[in-house]
Parts: sequence; structure tokens; C-alpha cells
Amino acid sequence: MIIAERKPFAEIKAMVAPYKKILIVGCGTCVAVCLAGGEKEVGLLASQLRLALGLEDKRLEIGEITVERQCDMEFLRPLCDFTADYEAIISLACGAGVQFLKQLCSLQPIFPGVNTSFIGVNNDVGFYTERCRACNNCYLGVTGGICPVTMCPKGLLNGPCGGTIQGHCEVDPEKECAWSKIYHRLELEGSLDNMRRIMPLHPCDRSTTPGTVIHPAFKKRYGTNE
Amino acid sequence: MSKLRETLETGAFAVVVELKPPKGTAVADMLAPVNALKGRVAAFALPDNEHARMRLASVAAARLVQEAGGEPLVNLTCRDRNRLALESDLLGAAVLGLENLLLLSGDYVTLGDHPQAKPVYDADSVQLLQIVQGLMAGQDSAGQPLNGNPAFFPGAVAIPEADPLAPQLLKCAKKIEAGAQFLVTPPIFDLEKLRQFREHLPLNPVKLLAGLKVLGAEETALAAAGQWRKVYSLPPDLVSELAGKEPEEVLALGAAAAGRLLKQIKEERLADGVYLKAKGRTDLLTKILETAGW
Repeated sequence: MIIAERKPFAEIKAMVAPYKKILIVGCGTCVAVCLAGGEKEVGLLASQLRLALGLEDKRLEIGEITVERQCDMEFLRPLCDFTADYEAIISLACGAGVQFLKQLCSLQPIFPGVNTSFIGVNNDVGFYTERCRACNNCYLGVTGGICPVTMCPKGLLNGPCGGTIQGHCEVDPEKECAWSKIYHRLELEGSLDNMRRIMPLHPCDRSTTPGTVIHPAFKKRYGTNE
Repeated sequence: MSKLRETLETGAFAVVVELKPPKGTAVADMLAPVNALKGRVAAFALPDNEHARMRLASVAAARLVQEAGGEPLVNLTCRDRNRLALESDLLGAAVLGLENLLLLSGDYVTLGDHPQAKPVYDADSVQLLQIVQGLMAGQDSAGQPLNGNPAFFPGAVAIPEADPLAPQLLKCAKKIEAGAQFLVTPPIFDLEKLRQFREHLPLNPVKLLAGLKVLGAEETALAAAGQWRKVYSLPPDLVSELAGKEPEEVLALGAAAAGRLLKQIKEERLADGVYLKAKGRTDLLTKILETAGW
């Protein structure tokens, strides 16, 4: 899922300073799981803003709503009429959701309430780590299920750099060296030949932004463009 | 054929001295060891933004070394250039007459002095070696033909004290397969580790240059405080000998220690040469060579 962190309160407060009536829109999927932008976080941010501005004798009217997914127009469309009453919107969705919401609400300024961090996993409550950089050329089948593009800070494809110290990464000593782990996984699998083969240069053109995927069954409907 | 290649291929012992390209345009200090030692050593290595700290470009520095009468060894890392820039710089090196290459992944940007810079790593060191092979054979990494083929003598890095060692050995084999003609190690202080590593390498055709380094007072203090975190170890005896002494005394003792190691490596033929890191200082380099009887 997509992991995000809420922006610092002072930054959000400064964003909405010019307005008297704002809407905070939460997203009920990824950012809700990682406790950054779901329904609870919408309520928390609204309370924080009311309290902080109240202490300054300022008044801000705040609407609150959370949709299932801001990255899906099916869930966003019903917001259309609702948002018209507000001067500005804070979206607590990931960057994709913020952009999709703005596509719908073109008249008001929209502000991101979170910083989108990465595609990752939920290790435990409040503890998330990155696993995928969406490179569009998955190597996991030959690397023991560990992504070298993501888990090695240098994204090396042919083995560890020279900086591994006691199996840990030169960039962050707290983290294990991805290639040490890949080696041990492949050794256990009996697949070390995978690592003996020289991997060619990564096809970076496959991740030219912005990416578009059209499912084969829908080629006729969408052609090659979105 | 480069002097370094000739030295190694004829079986002679090669001494390579690492210079310090300046952070700025004042090149006199960098070139001082070239003027003093060019008749005594095989080549002068030019680090490429070593430790991810921005300095004079290694290709430009190498050309200056050549003009001063020295034989350069250009270091080229994957950290700061995509494949276009790597290939273009390699062609640039070739037309300037720079043949010797040490090809590395490169220390990560957050460890250096521009921590917010974008790390590139479009190629890794194995792929860069393949790129070099391709250029020498007349085509770029996209398979397009060149008009004029460069000639290079490419080398790479090997880590004798890697922990774990097995993945490094596997990568080392790939570097050799991809065309590395010689391997350079990080600094070695315990020759037994070099001896053990040598056993893992094929005897021919790859050549091995053992890294030797003059320790500074700061490094010694770190080691003495138990905070040493490098891909090479320091013998406790050496740390005890150097710890707490004045910085210049540490350097002088470190140079003498490096000289003794050089002598032993050469006498016992534990490597085909050495790669000396002595802060680019002529006095320290001279002391190493004198101690070694070079």
C-alpha cells in the first residue's frame, strides 16, 4: 500500500491561514491504514486547527468528510456539490488522491495534508517500511523475493557494493544489506546461479513518468492514451 | 599500451599513488607528488568525488597529471552519471589519452558533502565494466556503432575483508567476467587477510593491487574509541601505537607502517602491486617508499 506521513501542523496551519471556511477530505484506504489521512486523522486535524486558531481569537469553519478512495472517481464524484461551499480544501490522501480531487474541484485551492512516502508494508501498528519503487520491471523472481531496486539504496543489480559492514548497509547501518539478504535467500533456494548471471542495465524508459497502464481487455475503449 | 598495464602484464610490481584533486581550482598541491615521484611509481590515481565529496573532475585532473609527466589512473563512479554521461566521459578520457580506469559504484551521496543531491547509479560497477568493453569493441550501451574505438585498461574494486565475503566474491567474479583486468582493495593492515583473499581469486589474468593507507589522528582516535566502522580492520597493536600522539607523529608512524607493509607485500608477492593512500602528501609518500626500499 501507499504510505504517507501527515505534514507538520504548522505547515498545514500556514496553508489555510487566508481562509475562513475549509474542507478536510480524508481517504479511507492506504493513508487510513498508516494512520495519516483516514477519518480519525481528519477529525484530529480539524480539532487541532480549531483549537490553535481559537487560542488566537480567529475563526475557521471546517467541514470534514472521508471517502473510500480519493484515487477513484467513483468515490470522488459524490463530493462535487459538497465541496462548492468551501474556500479551500485540505486533502489527506496520497499525492495521487490530491491530484484527482483537484481535477474535480477546479475552483478552490487544494492543499496536501500529508507527504506521500512510498509503497510499503504494514509491519505492525505504526511501523511501515518501503518495499517497491514501482520500476515497472520486476526482478523479484530472480532475487529471492527481495527487491534490489528498492532495498539497496544504490539500486545495484549485480551484487553488493563495497560498503557492506557485517551484513549491514553503508548508507544506514541499522539496515541489513539487501544483497547479503538476497544471497542468503538464493542460497537457501538453491538458486545462486541467478546471482552469478550478469544483469543488464535497467530499462529506465519503462518508468518514464507519468506512467499509464491500460488493461488488455480495455485497449479498444481507451486506445493508447488515458 | 599504458605504463600501468605494461608493468602489471610483464609481472613487475606496480606502485600506484592516489592523489587528492582539490575542492577548487588550485592544482599545485595535487600535482606535487607527480613532480616528485613520477620516475618512481607506475601511476597516479585520481579519485572521482571521493567519499561523495565534490572535488575537481577526475578526468580533468588526470589530464593535468599526464601533462606533468605522470601516468594517470582515472577513477570513475556510477554515483553521479547516467549511462550517457558515463560513456561520454569515457570517450572524453580516451581522446585525452587516458587509458587506465578504476570503475566503482561510488559512496552514497548522503555520506558526502552534498547529501541532498540525486544519486544516479544508472549502471552498477559490473555494468560499467561491460559498457567499457562495449566501447572498446566499437559500440555504445544502446548498441550503436562508434566512429573510432577507445582503448582502456579497466580495473575494479575488491573487498578482501567483506563480511559476508561470499556475495562479494560472487560479484568479484562478475567484475572479472565483465572485463576487469586488475582489482584494487581497500586499505589492508593485516596481510593474513590479503593472503586469504588471494586464494579466492583466479591466478590469471586478473592482477591485484593491495590498498595501503596512512592513518590520520582522527581515524586512530575513532578506532581507539571502538567506533571504527569501515570495510577494513585495524590491528589493535597499530591503534595502540598511534593513539593519543600528535597528528603529524601519527602520520609519520602511519607512513612507516605502510612502508613496512609494502615491503612485505612485494617480498612475499602477496599482490601484483599496491595502491597508496597517503593524503596526497609527497613527504608521506616518500617516507613509505623509503621505508619499503623502493
